[in-house]
Amino acid sequence: MSEEQSRSPSKRRFLGFLGLGALGTFWLGFTSVPVFRFLSPQAPPDPFDEQGRAVVLDISPAEVRNPGMGKNGGYGNRGLIVFRTAEGELKAFDSKCTHAGCNVAFEGDQIHCHCHGGIYDLEGQNVSGPPPRPLTELGVIEEDGVLYVYRLDG
Amino acid sequence: METMTEYPIPPEAEGQLPSEETVTGKASRWLLHRYPLWSTFRHLADKTVPKHRGSAWYNIGGIVLFFFTIQIITGILLMIYYRPAEPWMSVQRIVMEVPFGSLIRSLHHWSANLMILALFIHLFSTFFMKAYRRPREFTWLTGTALFAVTLVFGFSGYLLPWDDLAFFATRVGITEADKVPLVGTFLANLARGGPEVTLDTLGRFYALHVMVLPVVSLTLIGVHLLFIQIQGVSEPDSFAALPPEEKKHEKFFSEFMFGEIPIWLALSVFLVALAAIWPRPLAPEANPAAAAPPGIKPEWYYLSQFQWLKLFPGRIEMVGMAILGVIPLGIVAVPFYDRAIPSDDRGRLVTKLGLFGLLALLILTIWGALS
Repeated sequence: MSEEQSRSPSKRRFLGFLGLGALGTFWLGFTSVPVFRFLSPQAPPDPFDEQGRAVVLDISPAEVRNPGMGKNGGYGNRGLIVFRTAEGELKAFDSKCTHAGCNVAFEGDQIHCHCHGGIYDLEGQNVSGPPPRPLTELGVIEEDGVLYVYRLDG
Repeated sequence: METMTEYPIPPEAEGQLPSEETVTGKASRWLLHRYPLWSTFRHLADKTVPKHRGSAWYNIGGIVLFFFTIQIITGILLMIYYRPAEPWMSVQRIVMEVPFGSLIRSLHHWSANLMILALFIHLFSTFFMKAYRRPREFTWLTGTALFAVTLVFGFSGYLLPWDDLAFFATRVGITEADKVPLVGTFLANLARGGPEVTLDTLGRFYALHVMVLPVVSLTLIGVHLLFIQIQGVSEPDSFAALPPEEKKHEKFFSEFMFGEIPIWLALSVFLVALAAIWPRPLAPEANPAAAAPPGIKPEWYYLSQFQWLKLFPGRIEMVGMAILGVIPLGIVAVPFYDRAIPSDDRGRLVTKLGLFGLLALLILTIWGALS
């Protein structure tokens, strides 16, 4: 009598159960890899081109020509504000509020976030309300009638 | 307000449940005090499947269900990146950019085809085993309804990538429906959302494919399986005629189910191999103004009808359609015509008609594929 035949039905059943369980787990493990990779978020495209610049969307140079003028616009799929200070300096900030992510607005002598009343000065420093950090400043230049922003932190 | 009284544990259950000291014993008693499910458990635990030469056919329904589960999972995954407003672009992104996107899409394609193939086999095997006879008429009807729903699933899903193959195949398919007398034009316009196949058509097909059909089919599957669980699978006449001591059975839970798991695992390996070796291509984007690409053909499960209609050109096309229209009526009517157990003359006639139908289906499909 071989060993196989001498095994009791319950033992055989248990071994079968174990084998199927192992196979099933192996199968699940294998299939979860592509599913996990399929679902994992893809890095958003870098808004800056090879020269480190990004075209400013929805703002023309004329709309920030004079001191005190400013406007919300975009670069890549992000928002920004561009404005000209009373001294005539052109400035740009990523408009994502450091508190909860709303887009801030330029309001002449300050930058205001409508969601929770955060206030930044024209240097982007958080001066009152909930924002914990300054806004991210961007370099801004005009070239051939088009505004470009570039990263300041290298 | 009167509080609802709890249910007593049936004395029979007390003898079989784990001891009251164990966690499972406590949990099962907790449940049975609240929901009187003991008779349901008993029924399922006692359910058996007849064992005979044709027993393998009993696995086909479970195989269809396995592929359907794959369809739900891969379908949900595809929905994450699919955009009905820019269908072709989003499918191209799935294929070109999303990690494993081409694999998931190919799995959805191959699993759909294998599901329909398994469904054909399930339909014919239950047909030739005469499982539709009393008292299972309604199980048969829910099954045929599921078959119809599956064909619509295939037709609606085929359009969604919005490539030129899908576009023209859909246009041809709906134009055929348009020719059906009385209701054809109404139904065709309802499907297209107008006189032409446009993105409005795709919106309709999308809602149908991802919402309406899944809800309908899940409901029908629930009823279909409930009926089978209540009645058990049917016995072929040869098995039913055996003396009781020669009838062998195996328990549905868990012998039969465990027997099915290795089949499912093997099929999933086969499925992944198909998807990896033959990924589903994406043809150029649909252009309603361009010439149709050569060799436009419906998917294989519509080929027999396609080939049949080609035999009735021009004005006699109606004749071909009328004959096609009789087939579903016959399938629905068969349990009410062929009722005798064991089979009588009607039963033998139905078997012959079924064999003829299967042969015609195979010949027309192969002919359609070759021509």
